[in-house]
Amino acid sequence: MQQNDQTILADALSACAQGKRDALRLIFEREGGRMIAVAQRILRRRELAEDVVQEAFIVIWTKADQYAPERGSARGWIYAIARNRALNMLRDGRRLELTDADSLADLQDAASLDHSLDVWSDLEQHDRLRECLSRLDEAKRQSILMAYMSGYTHGEIAGRLRVPLGTAKAWVRRGLASLRECMV
Amino acid sequence: MSTAIENINELADEYVLGLLDAADHALVDERIEHEPELRAAVAASRDRFLALDLLSAAGAGPDGLWDRIASGLDETRAPASGGPAKVAANDNRETVWRLAALAGMAASLLLAIGLGFSLLLRPEPQVIAVLVNDAGEPLVLVEDFGDASARITPLVAFDVPENQVMQVWTLPSKEMGPVSLGLLPRSETITLDGPDLPQPQEAQLYEITIEQAGGSPTGRPTGPILVKGFAKQPR
Repeated sequence: MQQNDQTILADALSACAQGKRDALRLIFEREGGRMIAVAQRILRRRELAEDVVQEAFIVIWTKADQYAPERGSARGWIYAIARNRALNMLRDGRRLELTDADSLADLQDAASLDHSLDVWSDLEQHDRLRECLSRLDEAKRQSILMAYMSGYTHGEIAGRLRVPLGTAKAWVRRGLASLRECMV
Repeated sequence: MSTAIENINELADEYVLGLLDAADHALVDERIEHEPELRAAVAASRDRFLALDLLSAAGAGPDGLWDRIASGLDETRAPASGGPAKVAANDNRETVWRLAALAGMAASLLLAIGLGFSLLLRPEPQVIAVLVNDAGEPLVLVEDFGDASARITPLVAFDVPENQVMQVWTLPSKEMGPVSLGLLPRSETITLDGPDLPQPQEAQLYEITIEQAGGSPTGRPTGPILVKGFAKQPR
């Protein structure tokens, strides 16, 4: 099923590169809702997430000819475009609203963070990523999920977990190394 | 596993997780295009974590959003029939990109001529960087003389919005982060007197971003990247 999905998406990308708009629509119908969810996890606000996905689809359309299997799965490539645009928007926005929204952001962060850190246990029982995440100690797992699920920087992970920056960086680095080893 | 391979995988993971700062992220974007090992490492990393993105329910986005996307496509130039889509995401710069495409071939010629002159007539640049846009078209030539001056030669006329300015940056080292060489008020050749920096190195990153009038308020690049490229030493 997963394989089949990937073939459909890869074919759709090559049709996009030929200028076939129906193919882009097909990607939107299969993945659009979930791409919004990914962006919203990072940006927290639905309307920003939709803006990001709108931009992402224009990028997918214009860059479809650059996709090749050596760049990974078609779906991974598509989601990476949405993720990157969400992270860019997050980082640009943070610069602008450093001061006034602090306490509100904290509240929101705390709520959505708890959710993000638990969500991995929704992975299917036999999923390799789930198994490898479950083998990590909690600090490393949390650090990695904070970055991937919510777009936290090293500094924000350190702040949230109340450890020095170097410790947070080391947790991320070692956790990622363990995951690579485990998932080979 | 050797350290070099380990480092590539680590870099790929941090890139995929979004943990690199903007300059390093851009550097990886660039390296992916010509380093198959890094490209493969990024692909593998994306696919390792993809299951987390797929946890939400599948389904279409809202119809209203598709309508917005579709009208965005209308404003984007249609891909050439059968050929790859070469369209700038930022459609208001379309004329610039079209000019750029035409200038592409001329650019390499200009570069050759420019190189010849610079060797004969002026102090020899320590490094030369050809800055390219997203589509890989060479649009700006940077010659860094290593004496706190750098000559910037735009090869096309850029369309910079009012009240904004082009700012030239380099990344002398990861520790120093991006450093401004100065502002480029118009699409004209200019010699910038920048800060005192370590001698420019081969493969050092140079880039131009669009910033508010007067330059970036933070001292670091904040605006969109117009062009970027890596330095080479003249042989």
